[in-house]
Amino acid sequence: MKNLVPVLACEDRLLRVMRDSDVLYSVELPSPSTCLQLFYNDGGENGDQLLYGTSDGKIGLVQLGRGAAIHRWVSENGGGAGSVGSSRRGGVTSMDHHDMTGDGIRDLIVGRDDGSLEVYSYEDGDEAEPTLRFSMACNESVTSVQGAVVGSAGYDEIVASTYTGWVFGATTEPMDRHMTSESGVVQISQDSKLKIEKLRGEIDDLQQRVLRERDQYQAATQSAFPGISAVPFFSINDKMTLNRSDASYLLSLEVQTAIDNVLLQSDVPIDLLDVEKNSAVVSYSTCDPDSGNFLLATYRCQANTTRLEVRIRTIEGQYGTLQAYITPRLQPKCCQVRQYRIKPLSLHSRIHSFDPNRPYNVLTLKGHFTFPEIHSWVVFCLPELPERTPTGEQAEFTFVSTFLETQLHCVYSAKEAIFKSDNISTISILKDVLTKEATRKKVQLDISCEVSEESVVHALQLLHPRLGAQLMLAKQVSLIDALRELSSHESDTSFLSPEYQYILDNADDLQAQYRKQPCHLERLYGMITDLYIDKYKFKGINVKSRVPQLLEILDNYGNLNIQHLTNFFQAQ
Amino acid sequence: MLVPVFTLDLKQKILPGRVCIGKYDSAHACLTASTTADKVFIHNPHQRLGTSGGRMSLSQSSAEISLLNINQTVSAITAGVLTQARHGDTLVVGTPTNVLAYDVQNNADVFYKDVSDGANAIAIGRLGHHLSPMALIGGNCSIHGFDSEGNDPFWTVTGDNVTSLTLTDFDGDEENELLVGSEDFDIRVFKNEEIMDLAFGYALANGTVGVYEKLARWWRIKSKNQAIAIYSYDLDGDGVPELITGWSNGKIDARNDRSGEVMFKDNFQSTVAGIVEGDYRMDGKNQLIACSVDGEVRGYKASTAETRYSMMDVNIEQETIRELSQRRHTLLLELKNYEENQRMGSSGEIVYGKPSTAGDQVGIIPANTQLQTGLAINMGNEEKNKPPHVEIALATTNDTVIRAVIIFAEGIFEGESHVYHPRESILTSNIRIPLYPPKDVPVDLHIKAMVGYKASLHYHVFELTRQLPRFSMYALCTVAVTPPQGYVKFKLPERVARIVMWVNSNFLLLEDLQLDEDGALDVSFLSLRTSMPLLIQANNQCEMTIRTDDMELASDLIQALANYLNLEDLQVEADFPSELDQLASLLERVEEYHATRQRLSAEMADHSGVIRTLVVRAEDARLMSDMESMRHWYRELYNLNKDLISGYKIRCNNHQELLNCLKQVNQTIQKAGRLRAGKSKTAVISACRQAIKSNNVSALAKIIRTGSS
Repeated sequence: MKNLVPVLACEDRLLRVMRDSDVLYSVELPSPSTCLQLFYNDGGENGDQLLYGTSDGKIGLVQLGRGAAIHRWVSENGGGAGSVGSSRRGGVTSMDHHDMTGDGIRDLIVGRDDGSLEVYSYEDGDEAEPTLRFSMACNESVTSVQGAVVGSAGYDEIVASTYTGWVFGATTEPMDRHMTSESGVVQISQDSKLKIEKLRGEIDDLQQRVLRERDQYQAATQSAFPGISAVPFFSINDKMTLNRSDASYLLSLEVQTAIDNVLLQSDVPIDLLDVEKNSAVVSYSTCDPDSGNFLLATYRCQANTTRLEVRIRTIEGQYGTLQAYITPRLQPKCCQVRQYRIKPLSLHSRIHSFDPNRPYNVLTLKGHFTFPEIHSWVVFCLPELPERTPTGEQAEFTFVSTFLETQLHCVYSAKEAIFKSDNISTISILKDVLTKEATRKKVQLDISCEVSEESVVHALQLLHPRLGAQLMLAKQVSLIDALRELSSHESDTSFLSPEYQYILDNADDLQAQYRKQPCHLERLYGMITDLYIDKYKFKGINVKSRVPQLLEILDNYGNLNIQHLTNFFQAQ
Repeated sequence: MLVPVFTLDLKQKILPGRVCIGKYDSAHACLTASTTADKVFIHNPHQRLGTSGGRMSLSQSSAEISLLNINQTVSAITAGVLTQARHGDTLVVGTPTNVLAYDVQNNADVFYKDVSDGANAIAIGRLGHHLSPMALIGGNCSIHGFDSEGNDPFWTVTGDNVTSLTLTDFDGDEENELLVGSEDFDIRVFKNEEIMDLAFGYALANGTVGVYEKLARWWRIKSKNQAIAIYSYDLDGDGVPELITGWSNGKIDARNDRSGEVMFKDNFQSTVAGIVEGDYRMDGKNQLIACSVDGEVRGYKASTAETRYSMMDVNIEQETIRELSQRRHTLLLELKNYEENQRMGSSGEIVYGKPSTAGDQVGIIPANTQLQTGLAINMGNEEKNKPPHVEIALATTNDTVIRAVIIFAEGIFEGESHVYHPRESILTSNIRIPLYPPKDVPVDLHIKAMVGYKASLHYHVFELTRQLPRFSMYALCTVAVTPPQGYVKFKLPERVARIVMWVNSNFLLLEDLQLDEDGALDVSFLSLRTSMPLLIQANNQCEMTIRTDDMELASDLIQALANYLNLEDLQVEADFPSELDQLASLLERVEEYHATRQRLSAEMADHSGVIRTLVVRAEDARLMSDMESMRHWYRELYNLNKDLISGYKIRCNNHQELLNCLKQVNQTIQKAGRLRAGKSKTAVISACRQAIKSNNVSALAKIIRTGSS
């Protein structure tokens, strides 16, 4: 008989494989896992293969060995089966295996929180990621999927349940069975007819009761007698997740009934990005700086929208709260507030390996703070950390910047905390925030900073390829129209230089890529400017007046090289 | 889902909104659209077009496509029967400065005319009582009608830049009326040459699409995408056309003309560029043809009654059940709210007055909480840098506070909503929200106020609608003001009391106005935008005078009044010295710009002569291997080229200025027309046109003052 091995999927991007109550070993995943399922429902040949689905839509297979695990494959957005990269898939909520295609091999059925249902087939067994065969969308987040024969004997079905409590089946049965008769009238089966009639009756009955109650409620609001109007909370399924690939947050809100409107308010500057599948009409309101608002936006939803997605871009170092006021279409009209912290280092995410070979800037704090205190400060600054103070004397966490891939290493205990990062801006932000927090708590801090000159060059070298690529992309995209015009006049475009031919051949891809990352260049510029200012800030020099010069260099970056930029950074 | 009957890839970019279909030889439909590089392409899969040469050239990539060189930005394009004398359609192409009517079959220009107002939109057809068809060109505030000879028998002005034009029999008298959409958010209907106030679909820049029948709107929907093209086509074969909309995100949908319900939809990979109708399969039936900006073309066939049902969603019974269940679900939720409310109310243990937090799972306020609203004028505060404005006051009747207010209204905010969200620390039960309506239009304010307690996670939402009167940005003036110079005088066959009623309902007044002892009306207002006075006077004979220096305000007032009183005709006497002076100086500047343009054109012609000689000399030198002089001549050429470029820039600026001036002139004429109503209005506009044509500035001023020359 096989031993059962518990496997835990944890928020900190780890799978923990247990033996009794101890962790045997842990497996690092690309993002927090939301769903686990045995491969092929039985763990594969040796029963040791495990599928995981993540909060940002990835699916992967790991083989759990005795002392370590092997990653078999990870599918980024659904195996690239003709899907355009810009349509990010929703988090995986449920997986099952069932032979839907009738080829004798079970297929993978996936339910996602953006309402899509997908069927993948394994073409190479457990060797390679499966290919997407079918998909359908149902506009509500899927909570569970299962494949089986349910409604009609001999036809495989997918049964799914959704957040609003809807259970439905998607069948392989051809549906034109009871279609049009000769008169052109659709025949409805007896069964459905009864069901519809029953529902109609129920609704009429309910409507009467609701009307009565509504009148009573209205009467109460008019009476002088001091009653109360108590409306219970409606449940909201909300999530704000950091997307690693483009360093933006995805806020999703879902309510059991149709949403009327959502008001987003933020006390820090953030950008809202358009989400393709949203049908809600967004409107930005002007913000009076005196009112402490940096963003006021309303989303007026179309009828029957129960789910809203908003993509948000944050700026590191700017921290505060984002509030969502959600008003559903339900009488008596009420709204509920949800608050989301925008942390100072909002674009960092947890990793579990630290590269000690980079040039690091080190920030050391000493003072009379307790372990829980310093932990709460770190939690205040960084995402993906548990609120509870870790057990033991000392805590050690590593983070990576999703935008720049610089690392941050935190080691702290009572009375001492050490932060290392190869990005001087990260250290600068931490220093500012921690000092502020400590002053608020009236804790004396002894702060020392070790700035590594090398780290600035290192960070610039990390930035360099991205900056180059973005500038190149911008240049290529701007040439597309002109080149297309040329090609429309010439029967043969072979006289063009290889570079131009490349642009012409890949025009659509380039444009899609360009559209996918709006303001990417501006973000990079901002990052470099921060780096520049922070570098000199640690020396006690204010270089704000020299920023225009820096921007000039950046604008001409295409013609210059990285040496130019490093020289500028090193100039006194 | 809609299944296309044919799909083509033309491999040509198509500019959005510039697509038409023409039967140039009167038999074969050709898709015609403007593409990059100032060209127009004609796709003719059925028959070879006439010879190439002149404007026309055959495309290198496809034998079915011919290209027309326009050499100017194409701003509008359409095809239609312009002359009876010749069979087949004429292609009309509009550019920012010219309009070209082109005979595709014979590869010849029909006419080529300067239109200084530009051509933003073109429609071809018979208008009103005009016998021959015309090409109607909508430009900056003006509409020209050209016949097949290139004469312009029709001309009128409209409020702002024309963005769309269509011809239809609006009132069912078998004469076409012209529907004009323009940048000032208005749709105007012109009959002959007068604006009137049938079903037509419309699409707005903010993503709204809807259908009007006469003046009643059947429905409208708003999307975050923009509608690029709309078309009416009977896709399901039931005899009633659907509104087909092509969207900027590549979606195309067909909606029921009465309910706005989506009947069919399809998706393109890129923005939809245009939707037309034509017989593209040569089977004697017209298909609906949609194209995307990337040159993808799809044709859809109207279905017959037999096949109609197969297009219907097969899951109809499931859909019904689903919809009903959803309704039941919503009702149940509402019922739960009331039951919970009652349970808590009767248990008596819950006290209100504190914020509802996550642990409470319920939001409570006193049942008799009410929200009071009021509209008032606030004269502003200069120290706090607050200009005068209209303000809306909201207050609750007890200790509950107003957390936030969302006001949905159209046309007065940047988006469709305005949010008031103060800091947590200064929440009160009594707030004032300033509004700055930019235009004099009546606006419905849909107010949603969130009421509860400080730091609460749950608020009750109070919803109400208030109407902002049309002239709310004018404050009643209690002290005497110096009367402005400009005025309009007219006599109305009405009782003064009705005028007073009109003033009471269109201005924001604290208490209703009354007639004075003599039965006369004398009231003065101050504009909150400009602080300029406005006087409205009427004696007991109902002889009215409106005094203001703002001609536009006067015309708005008269149009609103004429509408209210159902006036068929109104002749007035008017004088606006400052505007008339401005008009005179504008016309002078127009003269100057015209002169400059001619001079610049002459210079350019000179230059082109020199260029020719320089090129010849340089090439000669090259052939003789005289590198020294070749370099010399090319240097000369280079300098000349620089001159040409700077000359071009001057011409561009000059042209832009000219356009601005002409636009203002047109707007002044429009305002002068709007000071009158009915026939008098039409008369003024055509008289003004004549005066401008003959360049008679003094006559123009006289027409604006008296209404006739």
